[in-house]
Amino acid sequence: MPEAILDPTGGLRAVSEGAAVLTPNRLRLAGATIGLLSNTKQNAALFLDELGKLLVERHGVAAVTPTVKTVFALPVPEDQLAQLKETCDAVITGVGDCGSCSASAVADGVAFERHGVPAAVICSDAFVVTADAMAELRDAKGYHYATTAHPVAVLNPDEVRKRAEEVLPEVVSILTTAS
Amino acid sequence: MTQPEAAQEAIEYCYEQDWTDGLPVVPASRPLVDKFLAQTERAPEEVIGRIEQVGRDCTVELAAINAAMAGCKPEYFPVVLAAFEAVMADRAARGGGWQSTSGPAPLIVVNGPVRAELGFNSAGGAFGPGFRPNATVARAIGLIVRNAFGIRPHVLEQATQGLPGRWSICLAENEEESPWEPLSVECGLGEDVSAVSATLLRTCEYVDNRHTQDPEQVLADIADTMARTGAVIFREAPSGLVLGPEHAQMLAKAGFSKADVKAWLVEHVGRRRGDLRRAGKSGLTENGVRHADDPAADDEAFERFMSSPAQLPVVVAGARNAAMSMVVRVFGLWSGKAVPVGGKA
Repeated sequence: MPEAILDPTGGLRAVSEGAAVLTPNRLRLAGATIGLLSNTKQNAALFLDELGKLLVERHGVAAVTPTVKTVFALPVPEDQLAQLKETCDAVITGVGDCGSCSASAVADGVAFERHGVPAAVICSDAFVVTADAMAELRDAKGYHYATTAHPVAVLNPDEVRKRAEEVLPEVVSILTTAS
Repeated sequence: MTQPEAAQEAIEYCYEQDWTDGLPVVPASRPLVDKFLAQTERAPEEVIGRIEQVGRDCTVELAAINAAMAGCKPEYFPVVLAAFEAVMADRAARGGGWQSTSGPAPLIVVNGPVRAELGFNSAGGAFGPGFRPNATVARAIGLIVRNAFGIRPHVLEQATQGLPGRWSICLAENEEESPWEPLSVECGLGEDVSAVSATLLRTCEYVDNRHTQDPEQVLADIADTMARTGAVIFREAPSGLVLGPEHAQMLAKAGFSKADVKAWLVEHVGRRRGDLRRAGKSGLTENGVRHADDPAADDEAFERFMSSPAQLPVVVAGARNAAMSMVVRVFGLWSGKAVPVGGKA
């Protein structure tokens, strides 16, 4: 009898296990230009700016390019992606600190990697389930992103700096280590 | 096997597939879904909605399966299609609204002859429950989001607490007892056109004012409810209003048109900066997000929470047996759109 019951989902999508996502061309940070794609969530731009400063000071990054994704819930627009690809050697994006923005940050990370741009995504740890689910939807199950403790929005600037410091090694590892 | 056992087994099968919103669904069969599809001229494979970020589409066929599962009758299906189009006209619904930590719910408003034809409730208990069309049309939208779009709780749906009645708020406007034009007419459709409008809500809150016949006192009570600081996250905090017929008629008798009501509320809904400071919300980023850090010191300055009456839906629904109304908290921006049932305006 169950065969006669219609499926309301349109069918399950096949998800490829651990599909190749990361661009094999990982980065040498020294001399690189890094795009900082913030998403308008409270403290996101500050968080990325602080990371940028640390990368310049400690890893020889030549320049950072702060950019804003104005619709945090949706994937990065094609033209913005193309522009970042054109002008940057790698991108750091986030901070995914809500249900829709964490998912879209992961979608963006996967998209950058597939366009040959190493990308480090930062999500707060309250949203790992939704972030992982989005990675699966993008055929990138197991996609590795950096996490920081939730919440981020209410932190003061000193606390944001501390968080940036804490997540820095993970971000460096994601950008520079081949899978 | 007796028939009840077969039905129970089929219902349990749907639970096992993770297809339900927690309540039993009607297992959808080909003959039943075909009855739904016969109610529309649209092709089953036509895509009627897409959530870009999850890469999922909803077709007429999937909408029909989910509407059948929700307990709709086949003849409700044109209303479900109109409701879905109206919901998807909401920018937040097309964006990340269903994934939001806010956990918003659609408010679905039905106008026109279809209310009587299908038995929609517009009177007492307008927010439900108790009436099959109201309950199942709203539920159908919820099942579409869950099943066709794949946005499930604790995974891509990240509501922090959600909202009682998240997938159950479908009310018909009480046009017969409203002193003003129906919402659908305000949105530009003809008077005898059946239509559906929708917006996403954060929540709704009652205004019980059986205390005065002074229209400005009643409006002040409504404005105070609209102006609580907990609802103020951004520069603006949009609201809508579902007036009980008693309040609506009292306001109309005092000479207020619907536009007058909106204008009065736009003028008066807001808080002093000092109130916002005490709630940690007096600062504003360039993006219009509120925060605690505010260098300006004028605590007496009054900040209005709505800039335009065009974003303030006003509907009349409920019974004329007490002076009660409902403030509805609009999640994003009301589209101001009414979708004709059956696609013919």
